[in-house]
Amino acid sequence: MSGSQTRSPEAELGLLDATMIGMGAMIGAGIFVLTGLAAEIAGPAAILVFTLNGVVTAFTGLSYAELAASIPKSGGGYAFVREIFADLPSFMMGWMLWFAYMIAGGLYALGFAPNFLELLHVYGVVPPPDEVGAVVVPVVDAGVPLAFMLAFVAVLGLVALNAVSTAASGSAETIFTIIKVTILLVFVGFGLASPMFSGAEFQPLFPEGAGAVAVLPAMGLTFIAFEGYDLITTVTEEVQNPRENIPKAIFLSLIATVIVYLAVVTVAVGTLGAEGLAEAGEAGIAAAATSFMPTGLPIIQNGGALIVFGAVFSTLTALNAVVIASSRVAFSMGREGQLLPSFGQIHHRYGTPFVAILASAVVMLGSVALPTQSAGNMASLFFLLSFIIVNVAVIRLRRERPNMNRPYEMPFYPAPPVIGVVLNLVLAAVLVEYLIRTDPLALVLSVVWLLLGGVTYVALERLRAQPDHRPTDAETEVISEAED
Amino acid sequence: MTRDLDIIIAGGGRVGFQTAEILADLGHDVTIIEQDERLVSDIADEWIATVIEGDATNPDIIEQAGIEQADVIGALTGETGLNLAVCLAATELSPSIRTVARIDRAAGESYTRFVDAVLFPERAGARVAANEILGSDVQTLADVTGTLDIMLIRVTEGAPAAGKQLADVRFPEGTLIVSDADGNRIARPDTTLTPGSRYVVALESDVADEVMNLMRG
Repeated sequence: MSGSQTRSPEAELGLLDATMIGMGAMIGAGIFVLTGLAAEIAGPAAILVFTLNGVVTAFTGLSYAELAASIPKSGGGYAFVREIFADLPSFMMGWMLWFAYMIAGGLYALGFAPNFLELLHVYGVVPPPDEVGAVVVPVVDAGVPLAFMLAFVAVLGLVALNAVSTAASGSAETIFTIIKVTILLVFVGFGLASPMFSGAEFQPLFPEGAGAVAVLPAMGLTFIAFEGYDLITTVTEEVQNPRENIPKAIFLSLIATVIVYLAVVTVAVGTLGAEGLAEAGEAGIAAAATSFMPTGLPIIQNGGALIVFGAVFSTLTALNAVVIASSRVAFSMGREGQLLPSFGQIHHRYGTPFVAILASAVVMLGSVALPTQSAGNMASLFFLLSFIIVNVAVIRLRRERPNMNRPYEMPFYPAPPVIGVVLNLVLAAVLVEYLIRTDPLALVLSVVWLLLGGVTYVALERLRAQPDHRPTDAETEVISEAED
Repeated sequence: MTRDLDIIIAGGGRVGFQTAEILADLGHDVTIIEQDERLVSDIADEWIATVIEGDATNPDIIEQAGIEQADVIGALTGETGLNLAVCLAATELSPSIRTVARIDRAAGESYTRFVDAVLFPERAGARVAANEILGSDVQTLADVTGTLDIMLIRVTEGAPAAGKQLADVRFPEGTLIVSDADGNRIARPDTTLTPGSRYVVALESDVADEVMNLMRG
């Protein structure tokens, strides 16, 4: 037996660790990758976009907190929905959430590549990013863009890592998150002090022609930047006093993240300007940093390199988090008999949900071929949809299981989940409308994935209907599971 | 077929809670029904199962525990009658469910007409206690049904049957020496009861003292 995942009661995570897991997953790639794209759509109102998204997602955060405190399962949103919904809706929830994490993985990998090239460029290893052409792969007859190659390799590397070894502990996560936040704070500090910021121009707040409405599609696109606090609910077993700490960790991580985002976006817009950010695209924050960070420092030479390093580091750690998260959803679905049983099996040698990871990797590797914007849109869309279901799950549980013990009860029920459902629906609708206009590819792929889910569900139903194996005698199963 | 079972446990007291903990550790989904508010909050602190607060005989409460999806219900409260009622109600609501009831006396086997399995935790606990007290010389391996025991008994030097072949020893009716000395073969008439070796023995509990006398002296 190589190290298999055991529940180690002594490896307890405190409130800080749990909060950092949530923040670490949120302050990953979203802010680095999507700020430029948000500025492109909404202009200086990008600041508003991130703030409003924080508010919208806070309602779902309340739902997650209540569910996590009362349903002790480490499967995140899927496990909660499975508790109260029938087979088909809970399957679709898992199916959508799984896809959302996988596409998010693709998005983070796509954000990693240009930032990594920028880092190399700062040190003069490669020419500036826009001049990096394609590397000619001898096997293939055409040139493959270097950025695509990098994204592909990043996914491959982290998938391989997670496929053969179990995840890093929560304390490592805490250190990573502190590094990320520190780098961002350095960015904010220098940005506020720079002469560029003193002449900051936030007017006109909204882009011309579109007006305030432009905020909505930008919110849809960047919604994924607040995805990550739900990962706290996947490690609940290891948290001390979960009924107290899980809700606290969810809110603390959300509040802290909103503050960090607000500061970062304000500085980015204030220094580089919305147009500059829009031009820099995925490397917007990095470009802003290189414009005002001091140069001529020892070792790192250019202060901007620190921020670019932060972007590279953040996208990689976030990618790692979603590789784990996506495989956990698939694993849970396999355990529940909603995907093939092999998905719910732990590999005998590596002690990891091997099949679940490999299956997740296939979609992730495919999604790095997408334009960054499409990946962001699709991931956001599926998170919006799955968050709607989570809110509905809270309402259903309250109505159908009034006697369920709820160590944490959200205030002002039923307002928060209802508001959460409405706001998420609005954003999803706006996003879909926006996709119809600008990004039909993302929409088609989303619909294809949903249809594929329907086919999978029916096929599995058929498969199960043949011999009815209800494990009445679970002895053999229990023995094999007892090892992990 | 790997599948985690969906298990409902009625009664979150000492027995129910420990059982839930073991099952949760094995990766199953457990829901506990418990009436006592203090216990509910203790269980919630441990974070091993969803808890429904209420009376487990109330069909409405059983439904809230998700009886339609559940594979098994274990009624583990301290009261036999209540446990049987819970199992019967559960079967009524979900005919295919497996039911396990905790009982408080040994003569409860007849209850298996109503439920799939019964358990008598005091007896199981007593068995373990006796094993611990006696050390490795006499161990109960399994509690089969009724009053049949399968034991591992070490033959003592100087006991009546020590060093004899089975053919030469008259064990009381209701005894079966199952294994030979090193546990590799089923006992034959020519198997010798070597002192210091351990033998698997199946016996009816009313002859246990005689068997002990013969093998342990």
